[in-house]
Amino acid sequence: MIACLSIPDLSLVAALRAEPQLAVEPMAVVQAGGGAGFAGDGRSPNGGASIDPGARAHVLGVTPAALGVVPGQTLAEARAICPRLQTRPASVERERAAAQAAREAASSVSPRVEETGPGLLYLDVEGLESLIGDPRAVARELVAAAERVGLRAAAGVARSKSVARLAARAAEADLSLEPTRFGVGGGAFKVVPVSEEREFLAALPLEAVELPAELYDSLRRFGLHSLGDVARLPAGPLAARLGPDASTLLRLAHGEDASPLTPRAEPDLFEEGEELEWDAASVEPLLFVWKGLLDRLAQRLAARGLMAREMFLSLRLADGSWDERALDLAAPTREGPALLQLLKLSVEARPPPSGVRAVRLSAAPTREVLEQMALFGPRGASPTQLAAAVARLSALVGPDRVGRPVPADRWEPFAVRTGKFAPPPPPQVVFPAPSELSLAARALRPPRTADVRCDDHGSPLLVIGEGALGGRVVASAGPWRTIAEWWTDSPVALDSYDLELAGGLLIRASKELATEAWRIEAVYD
Amino acid sequence: MAFAARIELLDQLLRDGQLRRAPAISLRAPRPLSTGIAALDAALGGGLARGQIHEVIGPPGAGGTALLRAALAAATSAGELCALIDPGSSFDPGRGIDLARLLWVRPRDPVQALRAAEIALEARFALVALDLGDVCVLPPPKRPKGVIEVVRFEKKLTSAGASPWARLARRAEKHDGALLLLTRAPQAGTFASATIELERIRAQWEGRHGAPGRFLRGAVAVGAVARHKRMPPSSPLPLALPLVPR
Repeated sequence: MIACLSIPDLSLVAALRAEPQLAVEPMAVVQAGGGAGFAGDGRSPNGGASIDPGARAHVLGVTPAALGVVPGQTLAEARAICPRLQTRPASVERERAAAQAAREAASSVSPRVEETGPGLLYLDVEGLESLIGDPRAVARELVAAAERVGLRAAAGVARSKSVARLAARAAEADLSLEPTRFGVGGGAFKVVPVSEEREFLAALPLEAVELPAELYDSLRRFGLHSLGDVARLPAGPLAARLGPDASTLLRLAHGEDASPLTPRAEPDLFEEGEELEWDAASVEPLLFVWKGLLDRLAQRLAARGLMAREMFLSLRLADGSWDERALDLAAPTREGPALLQLLKLSVEARPPPSGVRAVRLSAAPTREVLEQMALFGPRGASPTQLAAAVARLSALVGPDRVGRPVPADRWEPFAVRTGKFAPPPPPQVVFPAPSELSLAARALRPPRTADVRCDDHGSPLLVIGEGALGGRVVASAGPWRTIAEWWTDSPVALDSYDLELAGGLLIRASKELATEAWRIEAVYD
Repeated sequence: MAFAARIELLDQLLRDGQLRRAPAISLRAPRPLSTGIAALDAALGGGLARGQIHEVIGPPGAGGTALLRAALAAATSAGELCALIDPGSSFDPGRGIDLARLLWVRPRDPVQALRAAEIALEARFALVALDLGDVCVLPPPKRPKGVIEVVRFEKKLTSAGASPWARLARRAEKHDGALLLLTRAPQAGTFASATIELERIRAQWEGRHGAPGRFLRGAVAVGAVARHKRMPPSSPLPLALPLVPR
């Protein structure tokens, strides 16, 4: 069996996905024209390309509450009919994201999915009986999966792709529009069993099939109104009289469809986008937009049991160019607040050169790591909790300041860097290490400069440093000479001393051989 | 045999001592974390209690950092995950600690450090070490001359809040993590379940002053559990702190 999942009124559903509360209000999605409306500067919000300045803004999709307004009307006509009409501009970014969300909803039901257009998908649902149930259960699950990513969908299940598509179109009559937590719902489905296929097709009016206008007119002139009327005609004379399209229609009327389902590969990136009605010149309005995008992205990732391994932010600027940047995620996550903070840090660190007109967020997914906890031991940190905590800490202090301490690939006193925190699983058997208490060095990063007075032999006598880092030297050892990194642009040449100051403080101080400047590198504690 | 008769027989066997009751399996049984020093573990009633704040107070050179490192080494070698909140960015990996099980966080100020400790406790790290040893003791590094810094007066100053320690104590108790705090002066007050005070005695040098081959052998300090919620104060514990080459 084949299932068809379609998202009717994709532009409207995509807009309501961002603002579900408008589903019960009179609202229309409007394709901007050149004269007035949303793109008064003659630039389309869809792709940044110029549009015909003579074109008028017209309605693409409308909510049921906007009585009398239909797609195709100009904006002026629509407002004259419904003065309370709220409008939203059509957005390519939003529609792209909605179409991708529909793909993910379909993929969560069956692994074999073919997309033939934005918001139109076919699925191979053969063999799902044991997993989900009969074809009705599969269709119901398909509509529910779409609603989980905020989309109102129509689903049809039948023996072939063409009949499944016609079933989905038939189900569109039962659609409603209801705001949900994640977007809009109110989907419907129709299942056409093989035994009822002939009756279903025979009853379908010709309007239910996408036909060339010329063929449709010819058929109506002949007095044919339904597919059942067409099915009764002989194949040869019909094709000779009306051409190959009529032959295809006849095969459809008989339920014949040999076109195979061509599944596609999994997407590499999960994307959500939004276009702005104005040029955002500061972070605050972007935060508002990002929050909505991140919520939807997190919902889509959660529906598939995935997390964001990498995150990319693309900003379309006022001049049409794209400012693209990658976020440094310390660990896989889908935590909205942490990701929002990272986005904020990224833009504050490197503000875009001009106003932002569109935003796109892309997440490279990875599987959620699940681990069996000990049955009788205390509850420890789960990998998901750890990843979320690392992401929150990164957002708090900066991604380069959180991680596993790793020795730096450079010889320098107390050099260390942070690496990715990926702890190994707990050991099955614990061998307690022998306790070892030893004097530890507290590294000063960066080293503090100091003025050091020495005797005739070069031994330090007095340290004049900042705060507590100063005093008479009561004991010392050294020097130990270090020559390193001479093969790089920043060589290290030091004479190091361990010093005990009069207050009892133990410090490690070094003299740079090139400049004879002293620096305090560590305090022993 | 009837059920009542079986119960009676079991009672008889228990009274005779031929059967003993098995100890109940308790998921809440205390499993303290070792500090890495046996004498200190004994003074603390087994080690660092989970779900509690422990405060280590001592001047620089008294071995506070050494104690923190020993606790981290003991916990990571036992397979526990640990977090080190280090606003001074002073951690030296050295030896002993399983670095793969240690999350190192370098906040920019004490307020961030307290918030980071809270997040780490919420994530169920077994031991969260909060190193405030540099805060208030060392001055910040000097800014290079000639750099103009823009000060935004409208920006509110971040504040640690009224009672960060109360909040941290609640987090530690709720998520069953031990918080080990290193400071130079008392900070957590009564929110700490135990206070370990350290005092430096002397540094140990090897070799004659000015002679080649002289080196710092280590230091000697003394520590004591000065306050504990369930244990009496301990007697002074001598702590030998040898300097181990890196």
